[in-house]
Amino acid sequence: MSAVSEAATSSAMRTREATVRRFAFTDMVFRAATHASAILVLVLLGGVAISLIAGSWEALSKFGISFLSTESWNPVTENFGALAPIYGTIVTSAIAIVIAVPIGIGIAVFLTELCPRPLRRPIGIAVELLAGIPSIIYGIWGLFVFAPFLQTTIQPFIIWLFKGIPGLNSLFAGPPYGIGLLTSSLILAIMVLPFITSITKDVFDTVPAVLKESAYGIGCTTWEVTRRVTIPYTRVGIMGGVMLGLGRALGETMAVTFVIGNAHRISASLFAPGTTISATIANEFTEADGAIYTSSLVALGLILFIITFIILALARYMLLRIDSRTGA
Amino acid sequence: MKPMLSTDLNAADTTVEKAKIEVKNLNFYYGQSKALKDINLSLPERSVTAFIGPSGCGKSTLLRVLNRIYELYPKQSAEGQVLLDGKNILDRSQDLNLLRTKIGMVFQKPTPFPMSIYENIAFGVRLYEKISKAEMDSRVESALKRAALWNEVKDKLNASGQSLSGGQQQRLCIARTVAVKPEVILLDEPASALDPLSTAKIEELIDELQADYTIVIVTHNMQQAARVSRQTAFMYLGELVEFDRTEKIFTSPREKRTQDYITGRFG
Repeated sequence: MSAVSEAATSSAMRTREATVRRFAFTDMVFRAATHASAILVLVLLGGVAISLIAGSWEALSKFGISFLSTESWNPVTENFGALAPIYGTIVTSAIAIVIAVPIGIGIAVFLTELCPRPLRRPIGIAVELLAGIPSIIYGIWGLFVFAPFLQTTIQPFIIWLFKGIPGLNSLFAGPPYGIGLLTSSLILAIMVLPFITSITKDVFDTVPAVLKESAYGIGCTTWEVTRRVTIPYTRVGIMGGVMLGLGRALGETMAVTFVIGNAHRISASLFAPGTTISATIANEFTEADGAIYTSSLVALGLILFIITFIILALARYMLLRIDSRTGA
Repeated sequence: MKPMLSTDLNAADTTVEKAKIEVKNLNFYYGQSKALKDINLSLPERSVTAFIGPSGCGKSTLLRVLNRIYELYPKQSAEGQVLLDGKNILDRSQDLNLLRTKIGMVFQKPTPFPMSIYENIAFGVRLYEKISKAEMDSRVESALKRAALWNEVKDKLNASGQSLSGGQQQRLCIARTVAVKPEVILLDEPASALDPLSTAKIEELIDELQADYTIVIVTHNMQQAARVSRQTAFMYLGELVEFDRTEKIFTSPREKRTQDYITGRFG
């Protein structure tokens, strides 16, 4: 009786050991696989950076640091400078963010705090569909519908409105082309709006109900609760959404290429045509015949890479400072 | 057994004192389900009233009716009357923000706002009063002293409210409530997330505050109810079973259900 049960126990032990060994093996495979996946990201990032640097080496060694400060971009004389596209990229993205952030936060507040329940889903879905529209569609819509509309209505009005005011009159100087920096900024604002909205909405939902209740409990209005409790509580998440939107705006190519005018110059007026880094690359890579021309385009890519990196780093740093100041 | 009986009793018992809040024929609904059934009681001014009862009996719900915080959620509704100084606060014309400055609330979990300790208190005051920096400073100081927190935080008023310990955070929330100068303070299990030492401090504080405020406290802890309150209401399944002076409830309750609950036979 006891011998039988002992045999049974030991055989049970053996199968258990075998199972454990099998687990240990699959566990090791699993660990190696996840490890490799994580390393792969670093390898890819490094690979992109290295090939950008290698590809742009020729242009950078020829033009040196003046590549960054030269406005002219002349394929005939093979004299290239990146200042105009850098300027266009930063200005269009900045304006887009300035327009999109308040609207995005406004939509998020409406959806989480004020919206009647039956309307909540349709509006939320509409916002997310906005993110799903391919950028080429924004491009043709911008070129054929939006730009002519701006050209005939809004732009003449603004030019007329600010005519006598110093500063503003050069910022909004005519003629109204329709296409240009401001038009691109508006299109970009529409494109980044869903990112900012949906992330802001998601982080608003993480605010504990009891925290909002206690703010309402001392007599706050919805505006005060949002302004003083919800937004400060979620600012890290909102920043994340804004940065994601900014990253998208900086790199957006197709829609911008359609409506920015692709002119390598810097004008004071936001109505003037300009260009961005990605629009320049997309427009010119097929016609870049000389090695130095190609290399200059790759150098533009490297600059965009660095700008994006700096902006993300800045965002991290800002968040760090905010956090340490409030001790949260 | 009939609610009518206990109503008669508490009417007889509390006529000596002026009623701050009177609840009349109050029914409350979460969507279709009825959470409070025909509640009648009156809370005397400047004293502590405790609501006790097992989970889900409606004691927190009743508390949340008193400042109409339930209205943040569209599916919840109340009918009947709640009179604050004789005026029905359930009336549609009642301004909610104004009501909530008169009736402050402290929640189960500490809820410091995402700002500095100083701002946590100044924020609520600033909503309804325009006062100078010096006045604000003294208002913040006196509120923190009231909440027995001043000595612990006076050197770090600019630190985040969230950097305090749980017990300190809860006292900060009480200070914040007191600073607005409410007339009534609602406490929803204010000590249930705290250690015994912090709990004792909060209870001491409640005892001091009742000199100036009408206080209503919901608690799971019957010893706590016995320690801090002057009247106790025992609720069960959405009904007010018994409402009487605290020592009466805990020594010679009239209802069998009350007796069973306080002796631990159910709940």
